Amino acid sequence: MGENKYWQHFGEVNDPKEAKKLARNEFAEELPFEGFDDESIIDAKAPRRDFLKYLGFSTAAATLAASCKMPVRKAVPFADKPSAEFVPGEAIFYATTYVQDGDVVPVLAKVRDGRPIKIEGNSAIANWGGGTSSRVQASVLDLYDTARLRTPFQRSKDGKSTEKTFEQIDKQVADAIKAAGGTTVLLTSSVVSPSTKEIISKFPNLKHVQYDAVSYSGMLLANEACGFGRKIPSYNFGEAKVIVSLGADFLGTWLSPVEFAAAYAKGRKIDEKNPSMSKHYQFEGTMSMTGANADERFTHRPSETGAVAVALLNAVNGAADAGGLNADLTKGINKAAADLKAAGGNALVVCGSNDKNIQVVVNAINNAIGANGKTINWAATVNYRQGVDADFAQLVADMEAGNVGTLLIHGANPAYTWYDADKFKAALKKVKVTVSFNEKLDETTELCEYLIPNHHYLESWGDAEAAAGNIYFIQPTIYPLFKTRYYQTSLLLWSGNNTPYEDYYKEYWKGKFASDAEHNKALQSGVKEAAAATAGAGSYSGSAVAEATTAIAGYKKSSGDELVLYQKVSIGTGAQAGNPWLQELPDPVSKATWDNYAIISTAKAKELGIDYKSNDYNYYPQKPVIELTVGNKKLELPALVFPGINANTIAVAVGYGRSNNIGKVAAGVGKNAYPFATYNGTSVDYNVSGVTTTNLHKSYKIAQMQKHDSYESRKEVVRETTMASFKANPNVIPESSKELTDMFYKNANNDFRAGATLYPDPNTRSHEIKWGMSIDMNLCNGCNACVAACHAENNVPVVGKSEVLRYHDMHWLRIDRYFVTDDKNPDNVKGVVFQPMLCQHCDNAPCENVCPVAATNHSSEGINQMTYNRCVGTRYCANNCPYKVRRFNWADYTGSDSFPNNQDQQIVGKLDDAVHVMNDDLSRMVLNPDVTVRSRGVIEKCSFCVQRTQHGKLEAKKANRPLGGNDVKSACQTACPTNAIVFGNAYDATSDIAKLRAENPQRNFHVLEQLHVLPNVTYMAKIRNTDEVDEHWAGHHE
Amino acid sequence: MSLLRYESQVRPALVHGDKSYHQITEDICRPVETKPSRLWWIGFIISVALLIFGIISVTTEVIYGVGQWNLNKTVGWGWDITNFVWWVGIGHAGTLISAILLLFRQGWRTGVNRAAEAMTIFAVMCAGQFPVWHMGRVWDAFFVLPYPNTRGPLWVNFNSPLLWDVFAISTYFTVSLLFWYSGLLPDLATLRDRAKLKWRKMFYGVASFGWTGSTKHWQRHEALSLVLAGLSTPLVLSVHTIVSFDFATSVVPGWHTTIFPPYFVAGAIFSGFAMVQTLLVVTRKVLGLQEYITIEHVEVMNKVIVLTGSIVGIAYLTELFISWYGASPYENFAFMQNRVNLFSPYGWSYWIMMFCNVASPQVFWSRKMRRNLTVTFFMSILINIGMWFERFVIIVTSIYRDYLPSAWSTYYTPTIWEVGFYLGTFGLFFTCFFLFAKYFPVIAVAEIKHILKRSGDNFKEKMDVIENESTEQFAEEQLHEH
Repeated sequence: MGENKYWQHFGEVNDPKEAKKLARNEFAEELPFEGFDDESIIDAKAPRRDFLKYLGFSTAAATLAASCKMPVRKAVPFADKPSAEFVPGEAIFYATTYVQDGDVVPVLAKVRDGRPIKIEGNSAIANWGGGTSSRVQASVLDLYDTARLRTPFQRSKDGKSTEKTFEQIDKQVADAIKAAGGTTVLLTSSVVSPSTKEIISKFPNLKHVQYDAVSYSGMLLANEACGFGRKIPSYNFGEAKVIVSLGADFLGTWLSPVEFAAAYAKGRKIDEKNPSMSKHYQFEGTMSMTGANADERFTHRPSETGAVAVALLNAVNGAADAGGLNADLTKGINKAAADLKAAGGNALVVCGSNDKNIQVVVNAINNAIGANGKTINWAATVNYRQGVDADFAQLVADMEAGNVGTLLIHGANPAYTWYDADKFKAALKKVKVTVSFNEKLDETTELCEYLIPNHHYLESWGDAEAAAGNIYFIQPTIYPLFKTRYYQTSLLLWSGNNTPYEDYYKEYWKGKFASDAEHNKALQSGVKEAAAATAGAGSYSGSAVAEATTAIAGYKKSSGDELVLYQKVSIGTGAQAGNPWLQELPDPVSKATWDNYAIISTAKAKELGIDYKSNDYNYYPQKPVIELTVGNKKLELPALVFPGINANTIAVAVGYGRSNNIGKVAAGVGKNAYPFATYNGTSVDYNVSGVTTTNLHKSYKIAQMQKHDSYESRKEVVRETTMASFKANPNVIPESSKELTDMFYKNANNDFRAGATLYPDPNTRSHEIKWGMSIDMNLCNGCNACVAACHAENNVPVVGKSEVLRYHDMHWLRIDRYFVTDDKNPDNVKGVVFQPMLCQHCDNAPCENVCPVAATNHSSEGINQMTYNRCVGTRYCANNCPYKVRRFNWADYTGSDSFPNNQDQQIVGKLDDAVHVMNDDLSRMVLNPDVTVRSRGVIEKCSFCVQRTQHGKLEAKKANRPLGGNDVKSACQTACPTNAIVFGNAYDATSDIAKLRAENPQRNFHVLEQLHVLPNVTYMAKIRNTDEVDEHWAGHHE
Repeated sequence: MSLLRYESQVRPALVHGDKSYHQITEDICRPVETKPSRLWWIGFIISVALLIFGIISVTTEVIYGVGQWNLNKTVGWGWDITNFVWWVGIGHAGTLISAILLLFRQGWRTGVNRAAEAMTIFAVMCAGQFPVWHMGRVWDAFFVLPYPNTRGPLWVNFNSPLLWDVFAISTYFTVSLLFWYSGLLPDLATLRDRAKLKWRKMFYGVASFGWTGSTKHWQRHEALSLVLAGLSTPLVLSVHTIVSFDFATSVVPGWHTTIFPPYFVAGAIFSGFAMVQTLLVVTRKVLGLQEYITIEHVEVMNKVIVLTGSIVGIAYLTELFISWYGASPYENFAFMQNRVNLFSPYGWSYWIMMFCNVASPQVFWSRKMRRNLTVTFFMSILINIGMWFERFVIIVTSIYRDYLPSAWSTYYTPTIWEVGFYLGTFGLFFTCFFLFAKYFPVIAVAEIKHILKRSGDNFKEKMDVIENESTEQFAEEQLHEH
């Protein structure tokens, strides 16, 4: 039976294909575009229709082309889900270890959707307390540094780089090494990795030289001379009741500051019922961050460090004073010595000098006070610094002599950091094969022929033996972004072992664990700790002391000015100078960003004719430029005048003045001060005598974040006193707080909180959560780790020096620094107060009621919220904030604005390269996807890490349990090495914050309490451990 | 002397020069009906150029952000809000003259009210620019309007003084505009009736809303004037009171001051009259209207200036007293250190303010000075500068050093775009004013005729002749005539 056919017209029957095609077409006929090929429209057969058609098309096309300028954003979803644990939007934390040229900090890397975005401290590791430093916090941005080398390169003499594959470069290097002859030298910064050390030791005929940018070789040699071996012990600042630091910035930059700060904080925590704390003396020339935290601080010429050490030794030993130091200093030394002796071994003397003789004397003091085996542990020596200057000097000499055929470099950058970099550079030219494994084209790498960049630590497997037996593991958090390779793999390959480093490393550790499970557990926690052993006292030998004291006595007395080369807390040796977060991080003491400068004393300023009391100096960024001359070395630097600096000391930070190849961020920032260092035949000295200064009568702008140094006796802002005053009058704070609030509001029931407003009490407990923060100013040492953490967590934009100069910095959290000085002598700094200042999340917030569009309001949990989408940018809230913590997006710093091409302003507010670097697609990978990137024209400020509180609540809800009072930790809190910041639910009596507030009624205060803004951030007063009675403390009760 | 004769000895004529009604119409309409002078063109072109510069400045700011101005994290308001308050202050004189003086039956106001009202409207237009363009995201400026929207249950924040500003300024502008325009209607009709060109007839015909001059029209016009005057009178007081709330309700020491409302209103009238003087001294000269805007007008306004200037001066001193008496260390610091201390970074601005606003207007106690046009013009400029500095002192010297010394900063010099925006509002103001002077009668033709003593003078002139005649002469004349 045939099928019936249904049709409408003949076309369908005769030519069904054509008919179907026609039916699909909108127009059944061909469109009449005829006769228009080479004639004008008017001559076409149907000119009007064609004209209209083309007009229509071209208008539409032009409109499309002109209006659709929205930039294309690439988003690549996962085609295959990587693994079962991987949930998009869920953060995964990997225990790993920050390693940077010998600095080691165990950390957790937070990975979101395959990208590491934040570093947290690893709180599982006991003596670190989960703290970090600003450099550790910022290291995640180094991973996404646009200036990283992305492939292996071969560089010709004229500086041209040719991209190579690993195969090509391996073959070339292997051939070149063979052809070069001579010794093969591996130059590295201090190597902390045991597996790497094994690889190096197995490399045939390889000479390994370790080189530290800022050397500790004086200490290593002194310890060797004292019979401890060429080792550095671990120090326990927590056990020390008395700490004397001779110029060692152990909280900021010396050796292992995160570890030390955590331990130091243990001795500084005050129990109000029985107040006591460790006593910290600092002797130094300039003011370090550690010095700023000292209870008693004495200044001296840098060249007198040896004399101070000897005097202290004599005082401790009860020997006669050698004399030659001024009376104040001698008094201080004697007082410190008495306290050291009285502490019965629970005391510690550390010294920042790189002079072997001085360190020998320091060892003698520590031995005399019985610190060895108590606060100094020789059983767990640390590997942070292993370089000996003489070894490196010898290497340079060998290179110069042409004895070195091949130089392999990792981590070290002597062309920048060595005191005589020119000599090194000249010597490097005589080396036939030069290979650099450095991640960036730094000053040394740019002179090398073969560049095989190493992975960033967040891309690597690895291990770090911080102290003997304590291994911290490094594990990758992301697949290598670029064509980089472990330098260990290169070493293995070139020594004839074809195993890649990751396999070698796994094999290495496999044997050292009882089982795979244990190995995995160690990886998970990030640590393999040595069995707890008692502190080793070591075997001290005093034979070198006499020689050292004689040598010190022979040191030339300097009469002129002296220079101290120091490291800034943020920039350090300069290894991370290309990091915009670190460059924009203010120095704790000077509050300056983006530059180095000469710190001079008030006396020196007077001598140079700098009127540091004038409005011009105090209120404007233009600072006088002085020229420092030492021999034939000259440097022009802007000068910053501070109180509490030795009259003849000038301090300049190293780590600045980088070459252009290091990237747009660091290039042109500051001046290089390393060339001022000197070499005395055994070690590099960072204290330089014979400095002459000239006022050049020029000015240079320094971007300081805080201009005013005094707190104008505003007690409601900062509360600070001495231990003696506190013990004598422990209730000053609650009493004066009452007095203050009474002054503004007093009624029968004395309820300041509910009474002093027309509106209903904002404290009505409508909710079970009340977020609050408590900041212990006694524990805060000003290190700025929290500021860097806040930057990373909250996508706080970098604005660049030019914008910081215009006070457009965006920090949500800042650390205010106030000097406490003598009324009569403002140059006599008694103490320095660091006050972390952030949004106080006031319950009666003055910012909230002035916003015309209700863009900022109060949550039922006590958070002062900012709704960016709602904000129209009147800045009224910022004006009305008594704490001035609100930040306005003055320009399109983030590239997230709806206006395209608006970052090219030229006449006013030209944006620095750093801003553009931060807007690069690569740098943007560091952004926290949980936090909105703010656009131009809106206000932003501390949110109490609302993304974290929200996450904490959701986790509790998922687990069907009530939210714990300590479940949520803010980014600043986790970053803090001293636990100065505590965040939590203040309504939960079991939470740390509620307990802290309850236990410290005598030190708790609100900043500007009398304004009745009702802040949710409380501070605890700072106490300096001195016997001096502060007249002002209980002043207004008399 | 004859009992028939009555002559007031108290009030001199408000319009000089023996004008007839027709002459007045001719005089005032002449500038509108003739080609503009060279001076007008020069002034107009400069104004438009400034306006264009202002538009460029604002455009730059909108594209690149408020960072195009030198404001910072501590000083969130600077020239923008200073200029806003300054222009709003200037915008007070017009309504005061037209409304309050109308209610007080001050006849002299008719010589100056039209120009002063126009000035008010233009000044408020200029003032309005600043709070709008100072916003970080001006394209969302409509968020400040309370209207039912699709953005969820979002509503404006009625607690915010800035929102009160929105209402206060827009109400003030609307009422002032209505008042001004309703006053213009009869004059526009006059111009329409006199027009010889077709487009003029059309333009003024449409603009005059069909005014015929019927008694009913006049009756309604008068009633409307009184109603609007009644509405405007509280507005004169309320607008600047509310502007002062921007500061008075805050917590910033130096802003948080209960004296602000009366002090701001007095200051506004002070600066408003100064601006009227500036404009009228020039306008009467350029348009040849010396007989309408007489030296008596200048003097009477100078009296208002010395009165309000002294009120302002007392307010300044009261503030200082309270800052000491109140014993708030922060307020005391704001006044004594940030302002009075000449050697503080902005001490100079306080003393410029004190000199211009308090010291210099005292010359007007002298009648000779009050009637001196050069002195008046010079003083009016000085007062405008002083009043600008008053706002600058209040805004900037309070916030640049407030509670936390760590946050203190300086707000140095404005950028080219900040100055450009300010100059641009001058461009807007004078462009409007020049157009107004060209296309509208700068003196209320209809109203000024009310105060003309023409009939009395005519009578007096004729009677003088008669009275001086002997009875015989008079009788003879009368006889002769008939």
